[in-house]
Amino acid sequence: MPETHRVIYSAFRMAMLHWMADPQWVIPNIIAPFVFTFVALTLFAGADGSFGLYAVLGGGMMGMWGNTLYASGFAIDFERWQGTLEEVVAAPSNLLHVITGRSVSNALFGLTNMVAILLIAVFVFRVPLGLANPVLFAFSLVLTLLSVSALGLIFASSFVLTRSAQIFTNGLEFPIYVISGSMFPIALLPFWTYPASFILGPTWGIQAIRAAATSADVPLAFWSDIGIMLAITVAYVIVAALLFKLVETKSRRDGTLVQA
Amino acid sequence: MRRKKTQVTAVKDVSFEVDYGELFGLVGPNGAGKTTTIKMLTTMLIPTSGVAKVLGYDVKKDVTKVRQNIGIVLGGERGLYTRVNAIDNLRYFADLYGVPVSVRDKRIKELLQFMGLWDRAKDRVETYSKGMKQRLHLARGLINDPQLIFLDEPTTGLDPEIAKETRNMIRELIEKGKTILLTTHYMFEADELCKRVGIIRNGEVVALDTPSGLKKYVMDTSVVEVQGFGITENEVAKFKGIPDVLAVSADLNEDKQVLKIQTTKGSEIISEVQQILKNSRIYDLNIKEPTLEDAYLRLIEGSRK
Repeated sequence: MPETHRVIYSAFRMAMLHWMADPQWVIPNIIAPFVFTFVALTLFAGADGSFGLYAVLGGGMMGMWGNTLYASGFAIDFERWQGTLEEVVAAPSNLLHVITGRSVSNALFGLTNMVAILLIAVFVFRVPLGLANPVLFAFSLVLTLLSVSALGLIFASSFVLTRSAQIFTNGLEFPIYVISGSMFPIALLPFWTYPASFILGPTWGIQAIRAAATSADVPLAFWSDIGIMLAITVAYVIVAALLFKLVETKSRRDGTLVQA
Repeated sequence: MRRKKTQVTAVKDVSFEVDYGELFGLVGPNGAGKTTTIKMLTTMLIPTSGVAKVLGYDVKKDVTKVRQNIGIVLGGERGLYTRVNAIDNLRYFADLYGVPVSVRDKRIKELLQFMGLWDRAKDRVETYSKGMKQRLHLARGLINDPQLIFLDEPTTGLDPEIAKETRNMIRELIEKGKTILLTTHYMFEADELCKRVGIIRNGEVVALDTPSGLKKYVMDTSVVEVQGFGITENEVAKFKGIPDVLAVSADLNEDKQVLKIQTTKGSEIISEVQQILKNSRIYDLNIKEPTLEDAYLRLIEGSRK
């Protein structure tokens, strides 16, 4: 069996090569964040400082999640369009590891979206965004990136079975963005949405990111948010591994791998 | 709206063995079950019943072992990452197959040199010709240095020169000691390359022998080949109704139509041919020795009756 880390890295590298080969990434990663930041800051103009932070971090999360979700659906379709899905599945490596590499690569690319938003907010719109604890901010951001990637894996497994991944990704982008509290605190949402919010790793991640951005003295809540997010992320990976196994076996049994 | 699911038995009771170092051919019409057979042997499909062993490993139980030890070339222009170069394509699959890092780069270079692609190794695959892509497919299929290679219609859609080049590559692989299972539509290709050929139709192997052994099925026959213009499907059907005609094949789409009539009557049938085709223009009419294609046609037609 090929080493897991090599397969993940190789899939990550291949996805990055494709991103770099395709200048379309400028639209979701530079132009869209610029427009988003402009709209959000215009809406929150006159509000106190924390609203600006919500707008900027929310926009960044949206980019990261949108990219990952889009990429999760696209990962399988991409292989179908290239005609490489059979070759990849026929290799001895685990398909989950291949998609993990792609998913991390795309979440990382989505992170450039957040960086673009931060830079645009600070240098173009002159929003004061002093980060209280830059090290923990970066730390929580990277862990949130991994959690978002792991959530993307769960969706990617089901996309093996369908050609309509794009429809699902379009439908899933905003609900998760809202219930994870990326744009505004989940306390503002109806209580019946809380369970859905709590099982999302990014909900805890964004709380930790905000805590690191606003408070120099890191509260215990920061570490508990990080701990819960990590536990949820591990659960995502376990569920995704099981789903991939089930889905791959089903598609090999039904002969639907390529023509799904 | 509802989509009705139907079950189709693509392959039934197929049984054959391939020797180490052999080039074994599987031929049959479209939908015969060739690709399904290959997909089951390469673990991409799970057989509903029966046993299949590849290099001693069970395709249902030892999936990873089978995958590690075989190479697959599905052919066609797709199946490659066209936005990146040949080296990155091969490096990716080398990692997916667990080729040790210490040998990976050396093997990629050797394969690209063997395929005559080294000079263009750093160019994007989208700039390659069909023939170059086909050679890169072969290189990818060899990246894990497999003992057994599955080639699924590797020359379909290629122009004659590139197809010939591909066949030469396949010969070289056999000389290097590889075992190959090849599927093809082209009988001359199977005749030229394969040690043994299995003819598959409707998911069943209807004959399995050496090319010369298969030709013995049509030793008692001769083939009347007509080249003409204006030949209709109705006229072709009339030939099929003649008792001593064993098989008829017709290519009516080209400007120069070709009709092949396999018969035990020999030259006696010529007057009947002229009578049936009296409204068509005949450019040429020959009586030929039967080929593997004629044997194939007879076996396929025979299994239909």
